Amino acid sequence: MKTALDRSRFGFYFVTPFFIIFLIFGLAPILYSLYLSFTSWDGFTDPVFVGFANYKRLLGDTLFFKSILNTMIIWIFSIVPQLILALVLAIILNEKFLRGKNFFRAVYYFPNIVTPVTLGVLFSLMFDWQTGSVNHLLVSLGIIDQPIYWLNSPWLSRIIVATVIMWQYFGFNMLVFIAGLQSIPQELYEAAEVDGANRLQVIFKIMLPLLRPVLLFTMITSIIGGLQLFDAPLMIGDGPENSTMTMVMYLYETAFKNFNYGYSAAIAYAIFIIILIFSIVSLKSQARKKD
Amino acid sequence: MFIILRGKGISFGRIVVYLLLLAVAFLCLMPFYSMIISSTHTNADIARKLLLLPGKHFMDNYTRLVDTVPIWRGFLNSVFITFTSTALTLYFSALVGYGFSKFNFKGKDILFVCVLSTMMIPGQLGIIGLYKMMDIFHMLNTYFPIILPSISNAFGVFFMKQMVDSSVPAEILESGRIDGCGEVKIFHRLVLPLLTPAIATLGIFSFIGKWNEFLTPMILLFDNNLQPLPVMIASVKSQFATDFGAMYVGIVISVIPILIFFSIVSKKIISGITAGALKG
Amino acid sequence: MKKFFSLSLIMILILSMLAGCSTVESAGKANDDNTLVIWTFFGDVKLMAKKFEEKYPNDHVIVKVFPGDQYKTKLQTALQAGGDDAPDIFDLERSYMGKFINSDFPVNLTKIGGEELVKGYVPYVQELGRDKDGDLMAVADTSSPGGFWCKKANAKKWLGTDDPEKISKMVESWDKIIKLGEKINKKSHGKVHLISHFGDVYNVEAYHLQPFVKDKTLQIDDGWKKAYKIQKEIFQNDVGAHLEFMSAGWNNALNEGNVILTAMPAWASFMIDNEDGKAENKYAVAKTPKGLYFGGTYRAINRASDKKKLAYKFLKFVTSKEWQQFNLEKTGNAPALKSVYKDNFDSYTSPLTGHLKILKQYYDLVEDVPAQKAGKYSEDLLGTWRIVAGQGIKDDKDFNDVVTQFKKKVRILYPEIKVK
Repeated sequence: MKTALDRSRFGFYFVTPFFIIFLIFGLAPILYSLYLSFTSWDGFTDPVFVGFANYKRLLGDTLFFKSILNTMIIWIFSIVPQLILALVLAIILNEKFLRGKNFFRAVYYFPNIVTPVTLGVLFSLMFDWQTGSVNHLLVSLGIIDQPIYWLNSPWLSRIIVATVIMWQYFGFNMLVFIAGLQSIPQELYEAAEVDGANRLQVIFKIMLPLLRPVLLFTMITSIIGGLQLFDAPLMIGDGPENSTMTMVMYLYETAFKNFNYGYSAAIAYAIFIIILIFSIVSLKSQARKKD
Repeated sequence: MFIILRGKGISFGRIVVYLLLLAVAFLCLMPFYSMIISSTHTNADIARKLLLLPGKHFMDNYTRLVDTVPIWRGFLNSVFITFTSTALTLYFSALVGYGFSKFNFKGKDILFVCVLSTMMIPGQLGIIGLYKMMDIFHMLNTYFPIILPSISNAFGVFFMKQMVDSSVPAEILESGRIDGCGEVKIFHRLVLPLLTPAIATLGIFSFIGKWNEFLTPMILLFDNNLQPLPVMIASVKSQFATDFGAMYVGIVISVIPILIFFSIVSKKIISGITAGALKG
Repeated sequence: MKKFFSLSLIMILILSMLAGCSTVESAGKANDDNTLVIWTFFGDVKLMAKKFEEKYPNDHVIVKVFPGDQYKTKLQTALQAGGDDAPDIFDLERSYMGKFINSDFPVNLTKIGGEELVKGYVPYVQELGRDKDGDLMAVADTSSPGGFWCKKANAKKWLGTDDPEKISKMVESWDKIIKLGEKINKKSHGKVHLISHFGDVYNVEAYHLQPFVKDKTLQIDDGWKKAYKIQKEIFQNDVGAHLEFMSAGWNNALNEGNVILTAMPAWASFMIDNEDGKAENKYAVAKTPKGLYFGGTYRAINRASDKKKLAYKFLKFVTSKEWQQFNLEKTGNAPALKSVYKDNFDSYTSPLTGHLKILKQYYDLVEDVPAQKAGKYSEDLLGTWRIVAGQGIKDDKDFNDVVTQFKKKVRILYPEIKVK
């Protein structure tokens, strides 16, 4: 008996490093941010307590609301085609007859491990109005006469940012879907074949229903990630009329460009609450669908 | 497309499928091709022409870049930060996951819920506070706040706990205890080796995550010689406003090593992700 | 396995210690009393330091260059954090210097007799370095005249002359520019434009109008209404090529010549592709309708520095005739001292503009710029105005709508400014 108690002590020791480090580098900064969100602090003088002023300001801040809207639009534009493409490719690459599966998987996945910052810079160069290779290509092929001023149009800019995100993540989602497909028991397919089902029926009656949990999981993780979009859009810029400024970009620019640290701490909390609401809603809807 | 997949041999449908796959592969690789080609031309050519073949100006562009940006230093910094962080994440995630999995101690369940709920916190929530705190502790411009937080990786703990649950049998631990091993020794000698596949999978995730980390180092490190690659690429973008050649070289340098690394271990990475996805 | 892990742990510890040490070493200064640490975003400061060391062999200067747009944040952090990482002298750029010189970070130069540094300076250059009480906080060693740059061949073809004085006469007012621009637009069937962008009007007029903030209250100079009308006309009549300042297309046009007159500072001439000297003697510079300057690099002493004397010595050196004359000859950066301008009126030429004596023209331009302080907000608000007005022009909005929009934005972005 005594040894068991003794042993459990070790369990406690083993998990403490996590909590110590989290307290120092996780929780303490979060609480300190909370305090700072009630202050006005420009980095040149000490923080001054201002009560709820920052939060009041936030409620009237149309730019912040615009950044929420931008983030959502970019997320939707990237997630929908991304999931469709990933799903189609996963189903195709799950086919037995196909050769070069590993090659295709590797190629599709590759953009995922390239640093988002790099991708942002690369795309902003490629879509430059006058000097970008995309316009050069389209003009050479005779598809357009005049170069398109991509990054001067709010919607085109958003689509470009969404394209970067989609391009980076579809390969990853494809792998997740392939994993999901592979976990479907072989017998189900065989049974379907015995019943004389065609491919379409197999896809819609077996694959998609069984993939649903995986799809939902991907949606949820991508909401949380999508609401925190930052690196790649930052490299592409705020866009015309701030149309590609995401929430986290607004946080960053408020703090480290305009030196408005107190207000940006309030923005951080607002973003947190938005993410929390979205996570709870999507978790709930997932739970309901399971019932 | 679906119906045609049934027959054997080469059919029209299969050709369409292959064409689709190749088209997507082309779209995946074209930006990288364009980037490599562009990096070998002069600014004037990049600005005016559609470039399909390599030029001769790579070294000129490269020289202009490395004259002002210590890009290789950034690369080494990234390697250092990523390796140490990943090692810490792996070791401590295994340790903490093992602690949660195989021991009973007071408040264990509550603590584990705490770990899980930290996963819900977005990274930038505490960033302003972290910045000010590190300023107070004189830890700005050091690697401590970049590397040490890797010890508390909630996803890693969650993942490792599940792996310990499924792949470390209690009998092995008992036999170790009967042999008179201490608890720490049991973890190092018996548990860690059993977790090797899990460590490989988690290692890939945390490596990629850390390699791409941008916001925290950008804010906390102000010395150029300490910054990791993504921060340097971002600064290349702002300082070489219209020097496309140099910018492209910077991008090439940040992509090529990853491309090489990936082409060597792509199979491992992909199977690791597949395994990770199943567990998650 | 155990060995591997304990080894790697030890490695981590050692390496992170090293990292900690190297931080201090690389960012810190040698503990030598004669060593000065300067932070800048501008690579040429190294040359300045070299010349200083040549003159005072016992003193040493470490220049830390932080290129890119995160410099100001890094600087603020370092000044706040203090300690060994902080610089003795720090450089500030025009666009954000107002925030730094109105803070506690720099030494008040007026109080230590620094007025002597800027005696004989171009008025606008010295005034920018003053805080809201009029005390000198930072000094520059250059002025940044801007003008209309043009390719000579191009000017001859479209304007009939490449003589800067004649061109200056042709474009001495915005009305003339609009008329001429319309003509050229017609003649070239829309292929060639007289100027790059309606933003040129903004760049010229901005510093001739009263700043947007006075006593923490928003005020909008009447001149903006006129400027807005001119910008609209330029936009609607395709006088400008719709190429924004310093954008890729703008740069291309500067080299190619499909824009005849590019309003830009002399320091931006590095944007001209001069490989193997192919652009030499190909350009001329004409006057803009009003005096024009772009940017500026200012230097301040860190109040927390323990080497203020040495730092002051350095500032004294860079504000001296000796350095500014050398700098003009070596790099072509225009001086801040009037006397250096005057001494070189008849002698100074630069490669791109060939035999043209451009300094007199520059002098007239910078002398024409009114002396204004770099307020805490003025540059931010100018930027906000530029965006709001630019959008208004594109959407063909009324001036009053733009003002309403601008006020709304200021209220959100700068709640501490009173908006009537």
